[in-house]
Amino acid sequence: MSRGAFSGWRLEPLADVPLRRRALAAASALTLAALLCGLLFLAAGANPFLAFAALVKGAFGSWRTATETLVKATPLIFTGLAAAVAFRARLWNIGAEGQVFAGAMFAYWVQHGLAGQPMALQLPVVVLGAMAGGALYAALAGVLRTAFRIDEVISTVMLNYIIVYMLSMLLLKGPWSEAGGFFEQTAKVDPGSILPALFPGSRLHLGFLLALAAAFLVQVLITRTPLGYEIRAMGSNLRALQVQGTSTVRIVLVVMALSGLLAGLAGATEVYGVHYRLKSGAVAGYGYAGIVVAILGGLRPWGVVCAAILFGALVNGATYMQIATGVPSALIYAIEAIILLFYLAGWAASGFRLRRAAHVR
Amino acid sequence: MFAELMEASVVISVLAATIRIATPVLLAALGELVAERAGVYNMGVEGTMLMGAFTAYLAASASGSLWLGVGAALMTGALASLVFAFLVITLRIEQIVTGLAINLLGSGLTVFWLRAAFADADQTPTIPLFAALPLPGLADLPWIGPVVFQQKALTYVALLAVPAVWFFLFRTRPGLDLRCCGENPKALDIKGHSVAARQYAAVVFGGAMAGLGGAFLTLAASARFVPEITNGRGWLAIVIVIAGMWRPVPVLLATLAFSFLDALQLQIQGIGITVPYQLLLAAPYVFALVVLALRRSHSGAPARLGIAYRREGG
Repeated sequence: MSRGAFSGWRLEPLADVPLRRRALAAASALTLAALLCGLLFLAAGANPFLAFAALVKGAFGSWRTATETLVKATPLIFTGLAAAVAFRARLWNIGAEGQVFAGAMFAYWVQHGLAGQPMALQLPVVVLGAMAGGALYAALAGVLRTAFRIDEVISTVMLNYIIVYMLSMLLLKGPWSEAGGFFEQTAKVDPGSILPALFPGSRLHLGFLLALAAAFLVQVLITRTPLGYEIRAMGSNLRALQVQGTSTVRIVLVVMALSGLLAGLAGATEVYGVHYRLKSGAVAGYGYAGIVVAILGGLRPWGVVCAAILFGALVNGATYMQIATGVPSALIYAIEAIILLFYLAGWAASGFRLRRAAHVR
Repeated sequence: MFAELMEASVVISVLAATIRIATPVLLAALGELVAERAGVYNMGVEGTMLMGAFTAYLAASASGSLWLGVGAALMTGALASLVFAFLVITLRIEQIVTGLAINLLGSGLTVFWLRAAFADADQTPTIPLFAALPLPGLADLPWIGPVVFQQKALTYVALLAVPAVWFFLFRTRPGLDLRCCGENPKALDIKGHSVAARQYAAVVFGGAMAGLGGAFLTLAASARFVPEITNGRGWLAIVIVIAGMWRPVPVLLATLAFSFLDALQLQIQGIGITVPYQLLLAAPYVFALVVLALRRSHSGAPARLGIAYRREGG
């Protein structure tokens, strides 16, 4: 809209946006989002300052809560990386949600027969199984795109819905349901398959280190390898790739599989690091949150880690906030979306300036 | 099983259920059709519908008037899509990402508000539902009467919206201009007509329709709001627009095909055939993938769908 909303004023796009302007926009977006959240606290009948204080205390108040924040951040690092890799190539993989399920299910499928075996066998099986499950499920969407021209946004969303019912079928009076159990879940997994805790007295587990390693590897992959170059080129200059004769079909399949592989790992960390059993509630929600994390992290691996820790803190702090102030912890899902919207708007708006036009057409 | 399904009364009830179930998806799909024809890919249908369903329930339970609920849903849908329109048309943010943000907003805000507004969010009070509105004269026709003309008011609105949208898009000047936004916005711009204004209108209309679809869920089907009540219907609406080749009548047919599947599923569960119910629930999504795979191409898609219009040098 080149004619501005106010007569006499015009929104002019800037040719070159300085980084300071971008940073300022991001900061003001977060501030505005915080203000809006304050209004939501008021709407829920709580004192916004007390609620914010409870949120921070619940997230970082003690050593234990701080490590718990990292526990909550772990799956978000994986799903954030999954979205970041795909989005860098302008592949809109919205399916991290389903790929987390697929990773957890595949890991459980290959691991649950190994009960009693040594940890040195079970842990690699869990990790590789989760990677394979996520990668296969995402590659399915890749094939649907390359062979059948189905938009990956649509196919991944459909696959997200489908796999939730598949898991439910396996768990509710199905082959995986807990013997004699009433809930839709498996029995507890074998102790030898559990991701070990990093410190005594904390739930922080090996999965967090795996997540950091994954961030490092993705960073190297994107910046230092031929595949990384192709991913970036597909996102920024598809034409050049085609002229060069690179097969985009191959890149689509590889990137989807890689993205799914990362998402699948979140399934392993939640089932084998936190809940110790496979159930829908253990793996749901991380895929969609990962998209927000990826965008806030600027689609850069270390940015994703920071954003995931911020969101892990929100999730963790919200539980305490609900107990202390009565504000429903579901608020954080609204907060996530609000932060994303303001961030997007701030980012885009920093590329414009509002200017008084001398002559209005 | 088949003998049981072929009885006249069963056939009529399945077909009537098909039309009933089609209502919310058809409303949302027609709205999305108009937005996409104007070149804007609104992936926020699911979240917009959800917000519409929620405010409809909230307004109806607070005021006791179902029509106030409908009004609230229309306003909510329009408002949510106005935000979307500002972000993607004025600020030209990536449409897919913005749509997802609207979905997350819908899902987060409704759950939060539900828990904040009702002490026991799992047992919210029910509201009286819209009653069926048999059309005098038509309702007594054999077969077609009970199937089509004994539905609720919003269903008639949805069915009438099909020819209305068709007439507007293909038989009026503003409709032509709107389609021009999706095919060749530059031509419109050169003539001095605002592309943005038409896209805003199309998107806001689409949002209001999605909100209305959401209202049907709480005011005519479930009587209370539960989190994620839309359960993928907004996404199915997007699939249906593609399957319906961006044309109102094929969109209606595609909606009916999906709804028939759903109605059949309810009937099969009703007569107690032992198929895992999860398979039946997953069927529409599998069906969607199959339909899209068979279509193979996006023929009929507006040429500039999803691409924000930028004036040269601007």
